[in-house]
Amino acid sequence: MKHVIKFRPVLLATIAGALIATGCIAQEPKKGMSGPPPLAPLGPPPIPADNLLSPAKIELGKYLFFDPRLGGDASTGCSTCHEPDQGWSWAEDISRGYPGTVHWRSNQTIINAAYYSKLFWAGSSKSLESQAKSASKGGVAGNGETDIMEARLSLIPKYVELNKKAFGTEWPLLQDAYRAIASFERTLVQRDTPLDKYLLGDKSALSEEQIRGKKVFEGKGACIQCHNGALASDENYYNIGVPGVKRWEEDGLAQITFRFEIYAKGSTEEMYRTIKDDPGAYFRGKNKWDMGKFRTPSLRYAIYTAPYMHSGQFDTLDDVVDFYNAGGVAADGRTTSFPKTKSPLIKPLGLTDGEKSDLVAFIEAFSGDEIMMEKPELPPYAARFSKAELQAAQEAK
Amino acid sequence: MGVRVTSGRSLLAAMMGVGMALGAQAANVPDLGPLPPIKVNKAKAELGKRLFFDKRLSGDAAIACATCHDPKQGWTQNKPLSDGYPGNGHFRNSPTMVNVAHKKVWNHDGRIGTGLNDMTREMITEDYIMNMDMRIMQERVKQDPVYLKMFKDAGYGEPSNGKVRKAIPEYLKSLTSQNAPFDTGKMSKSAKRGLTLFKGKGGCIQCHNGPLATDEKAHNTGVPENFDVFLDPNNHQAFIAFAMFQGIENFMNIKRDPGYYNVTMDSADVGKFITPSLRELKYTAPYMHNGMLKTLNDVVAFYNMGGGMDSKKSSLLKPLGLSKAEQKDLVAFLLSLSGDQLTSAKYVWQGAYPAEYPVIENWKNVRN
Repeated sequence: MKHVIKFRPVLLATIAGALIATGCIAQEPKKGMSGPPPLAPLGPPPIPADNLLSPAKIELGKYLFFDPRLGGDASTGCSTCHEPDQGWSWAEDISRGYPGTVHWRSNQTIINAAYYSKLFWAGSSKSLESQAKSASKGGVAGNGETDIMEARLSLIPKYVELNKKAFGTEWPLLQDAYRAIASFERTLVQRDTPLDKYLLGDKSALSEEQIRGKKVFEGKGACIQCHNGALASDENYYNIGVPGVKRWEEDGLAQITFRFEIYAKGSTEEMYRTIKDDPGAYFRGKNKWDMGKFRTPSLRYAIYTAPYMHSGQFDTLDDVVDFYNAGGVAADGRTTSFPKTKSPLIKPLGLTDGEKSDLVAFIEAFSGDEIMMEKPELPPYAARFSKAELQAAQEAK
Repeated sequence: MGVRVTSGRSLLAAMMGVGMALGAQAANVPDLGPLPPIKVNKAKAELGKRLFFDKRLSGDAAIACATCHDPKQGWTQNKPLSDGYPGNGHFRNSPTMVNVAHKKVWNHDGRIGTGLNDMTREMITEDYIMNMDMRIMQERVKQDPVYLKMFKDAGYGEPSNGKVRKAIPEYLKSLTSQNAPFDTGKMSKSAKRGLTLFKGKGGCIQCHNGPLATDEKAHNTGVPENFDVFLDPNNHQAFIAFAMFQGIENFMNIKRDPGYYNVTMDSADVGKFITPSLRELKYTAPYMHNGMLKTLNDVVAFYNMGGGMDSKKSSLLKPLGLSKAEQKDLVAFLLSLSGDQLTSAKYVWQGAYPAEYPVIENWKNVRN
């Protein structure tokens, strides 16, 4: 098949080395030939040159991650929806949203988000820094505005102090707050899963069942076509046939958000009137061949992050495997509303029950211990001026 | 003394034509008088009424326009500083909605001079006020069948945020003074004496003139700062956010409300605020842009002293030497500018709102 890749020169260069092609790339793995990058133990996360880690940034970032004052009405911060007890995500089909709203996509875990070069399901952010910005400002997420959030930070002495240490400015800038949050998130990684241990040479780290599942993953299941490399994601966009959010048909609040997203992200009037599913990566380049495509998610930490897929339509990993086994069709027969863009990589797999349970067991090996964290006690506001200072200013008028 | 008119020449010319002779102090200003009638489109106003009381018009669906402009509190909040949006406070006093459609300039600092359409947008979208992404608001409105019908009946067709910004101003036109003794002529003797003082010895009419009893211009009367703006971080954050957004420099360090300076960025205008209307004062305590004066007695006493302390205070303000009795008469006159409280169903939306957004049935097969 021909798979046209637009606007992804870096990725193209990477893949080109492994897959070879000119103009278009054959992604179908061929037995015995060079295929997709193999699974690999996870190394340290990349640190961007313009936001190097420092203890002060990480400390500030941790506070800010858990502080709901970084949101419109001071009720909704990062951790409000990326709840550590829910796999650092949100355990419903679609994420909770800002009060008075609901989101339209499934919430993704923060764990190992540091490794992605494309954040959000449709890759709308290219860094953790810009992801944090979009999430804190988005109308159905944090719904915060720069000025009020920056004002709040400036009235919290502990943040002023930490910010000065981390960034050197007299008063916190929101842009730096996002850099601090990203720095904290770069510490939320998991590199000691059973699979990492196995790939590093501890052959006892995987069970017999999991080792069989690995063979299915890399062979008959062909999962590795997209879930490859250390992150178990090629970060490419595919339409694999996942059905849209069922709740859109049943919940007025969800219908509001659906239309808002279609409207706000930029659609023709006809598209706004008629569309009934999430166009995903279409919104990147507004190319119709990207309709319904989403960025391959990592499989790491997956046992804690149910439900699954961009629309959260599958409650268990068994459901996910059944979906793939059926060639990208859910048990209830639902599938993508964009059949034209569905990837030819997705076809019925003919896995036996034994192979399916082996595969699920292997996918579980991408998760280590659950990462728990006690929420920090949030520092209070303090008045910027004393009464005496105000009185002096009054008299000087 | 002569009234210094430094701007508004067209207004001056207009008044000259009327040729009012009000005595030495009040020369060349428009007289008080009845408000001109405003034509109101009923269906549009009815829609605007439902919108005005609907909490779903704020970001987190927790507050409506009517939260800070409460009919039972004179369409204001009877506290010095308005509540603002949940999560923050505010730094100014909430003004009444009654007669708001007669104004030409809005906000205490006068930063909007176009129309109520823009004011509606400003109030709904401003982060420390209603913090609403109007694209979400539009879709919320479209999810409510009652609105679908009302928009249609009003001739607006499909709901949109632009039409919300038309319907609310249409409704606000219906909130005008009703049966104020000053308008009906049923003033007490004390109030009549007060009117004479208002135009004469008190010099009030220098700024409080015309049917609204305001020149709608900015003056510095030396009202003291409300320290709660700065001592309460919830209020202060709203102030900082406002100043930051408006491009007022040194926003972390300023210890006073810059007022009309926000409009002109001229340091001569620091501490000036737009003259408020005196209509409906009976219900709108406390007074001044920051609610620093609790009662009308306090307000009159304040002016009797020649206003507050400010090096840039208007030269129009001088100690007045009003006796206690004169001050009482002046208050009586001010109260005669207040009419009926607009709290009946004619003015206030009485209907309930759905607890949940109704689902659109057969969603996949109907147009959005």
